[in-house]
Amino acid sequence: MMSLLKTIWGLLFRLFPCPAPTGLREIGHPGPQSPVLVTCNFDLTIKRLKKALEGLDVWLLVAQSGGVNVWCAAGGDEFNTHSVVSAIKTSGIGRKVTHRTIILPPLSGPGVSIAAVRKATKWNARWGPVRAEDIRRYIKTGFRRDEGMRRVTYTLTERLDTALGSLFPFYLLGGALFALFDPSLLVNYLLVATAAFLFFFLALDSIPGERGIVKAGYVALALLVTLAITEFYHPNGSPYRSSLIIAVVMIFVYGSELGGLAPHLPSDLDPFLARLGVGAVGNVAFAGTVRTELLNGYRELTYDHEICEGCRNCFEICPQGVWRMGEDSKRAILADRDKCTACRACLLQCQSGAIQAKKRDRNEPAGNSYIYL
Amino acid sequence: MFSYVFMKILETRPRSYDRNINRASLGKIRAIKRQIANQATPGSKVLEIGCGTGELAGMLVAAGCNVEGFDLSPSMVGAARERIKSEGLGDSFTVHNAGVDSMDIFADRSYDTVVSTLVFSEMSDDERRYALANAYRVLSPGGKIIIADEVSPRSGVLRFLHSMTRAPALLGTYLVTSATTRPLDDIAGELTAAGFVVGKYARSQGDSFAVVVAVKPAGDKNDEPA
Repeated sequence: MMSLLKTIWGLLFRLFPCPAPTGLREIGHPGPQSPVLVTCNFDLTIKRLKKALEGLDVWLLVAQSGGVNVWCAAGGDEFNTHSVVSAIKTSGIGRKVTHRTIILPPLSGPGVSIAAVRKATKWNARWGPVRAEDIRRYIKTGFRRDEGMRRVTYTLTERLDTALGSLFPFYLLGGALFALFDPSLLVNYLLVATAAFLFFFLALDSIPGERGIVKAGYVALALLVTLAITEFYHPNGSPYRSSLIIAVVMIFVYGSELGGLAPHLPSDLDPFLARLGVGAVGNVAFAGTVRTELLNGYRELTYDHEICEGCRNCFEICPQGVWRMGEDSKRAILADRDKCTACRACLLQCQSGAIQAKKRDRNEPAGNSYIYL
Repeated sequence: MFSYVFMKILETRPRSYDRNINRASLGKIRAIKRQIANQATPGSKVLEIGCGTGELAGMLVAAGCNVEGFDLSPSMVGAARERIKSEGLGDSFTVHNAGVDSMDIFADRSYDTVVSTLVFSEMSDDERRYALANAYRVLSPGGKIIIADEVSPRSGVLRFLHSMTRAPALLGTYLVTSATTRPLDDIAGELTAAGFVVGKYARSQGDSFAVVVAVKPAGDKNDEPA
């Protein structure tokens, strides 16, 4: 019962933490040779992993992430090297298996340093596939990763999943406010907001613009044109006026913060807050972080071909495919900088220091960095 | 007391942590630390798990002990190092930036006492087991461990009241720090499982706070962690 409630909570309140106990779990009947998979302690993640792993015999090591999913927690330094080192050392996994290799979720790349885990535990760590449903194939093919296992996708199901999880708390909050102040608008609010947001999430890639806020601008423009047309046909006041204005406001709320919702777009709100000088809200830091400075163009992702040792980590870890391996496979190539969402995974995993986030001379033209209002 | 939940927020401000946690606990936490220090044997070697800003360590040094402490938070360790300088604790207090999972670095050392205040309630089950096993390993035979922490009250009514008073603080703290603490359910049982013999077990504050003293039996040859 409690477990079901937690699943529903996890689905609808994706934006809030939902912790499960940390520690070692058995999937099937794992033995001394069975693979050891590491994950976060977000309740929903563990449930989905267990489902994806049905029929396999593996150890699942749940590490502390503050009850937040792998990617968000790694980006916010809640799921970090210490989480994994602590899980390895305190869970007693070393007495259960004879090998010394853990499989890390690659989206933990911004927080968990594979080299630091190796150094602290003498355990070898390798990156698994991004999606849980690929783990079976990954294990069966001798832990081989193909291109699809390295990169994030944004499929229809994933869109609906995030739309649901990110919409619900706002529906609840907005719904409560409308119910309190103007109940006659409640139904309008729910219908229009649902329609507009489903459209926004499903059609995200088809909407022009590379930034969430720009995309939101286009959708808002379309809605305002619609408003103008309805006003034209209803000289005494359009019945859709309030609904359309509600939709425009909410589109902007979501469009400005796609960093946590659409996997291939960075946040617009965070660097904007950083520009305003907002240091932190709660334990989420904005101003002065490498991430927001990269997004604001105060820093720039640089790569020194000469220093690169060809460890492949950047290529393996970047969920967007910013890095490629050169034809000789010995060095990386900064292939598609525009795709970078400043997750910092390559910076943390680069073993030679060839990848840096260097402070940029602010008098220089912005180059590849993002420009904000 | 629900106030200990706020510890996670206070920890983000190491400079004022001691003053504020003491205020939040209505002066009790400092009194408990003083009591621990007063009962310490001069000249004994103490290991402190989660030493924070080194407040207790400072009191122990003043009581004539030699203290080694560690804390996971770099800013807390920074505050402890400042204390070493400002209070002139010198070589009598050394501090490391390390978590419980790094307790194996102390494996070749030996201590007369292991102390820990308001730290076990922040750990996972595995971490507590690991910490106790390692504390057992580094203690010399006859050495004792002192744990002062939030515990679950024994009676159902008190437990209910305790969780109710904790709930709002829990939510607020979780929203700010996405971290929290959990009152210990059975620290005596966990100590026993690790090989210790539980001695004094003093409960206070509506049965929700405890100071537990346990001893590693003298002559015990089993130095392996449980």
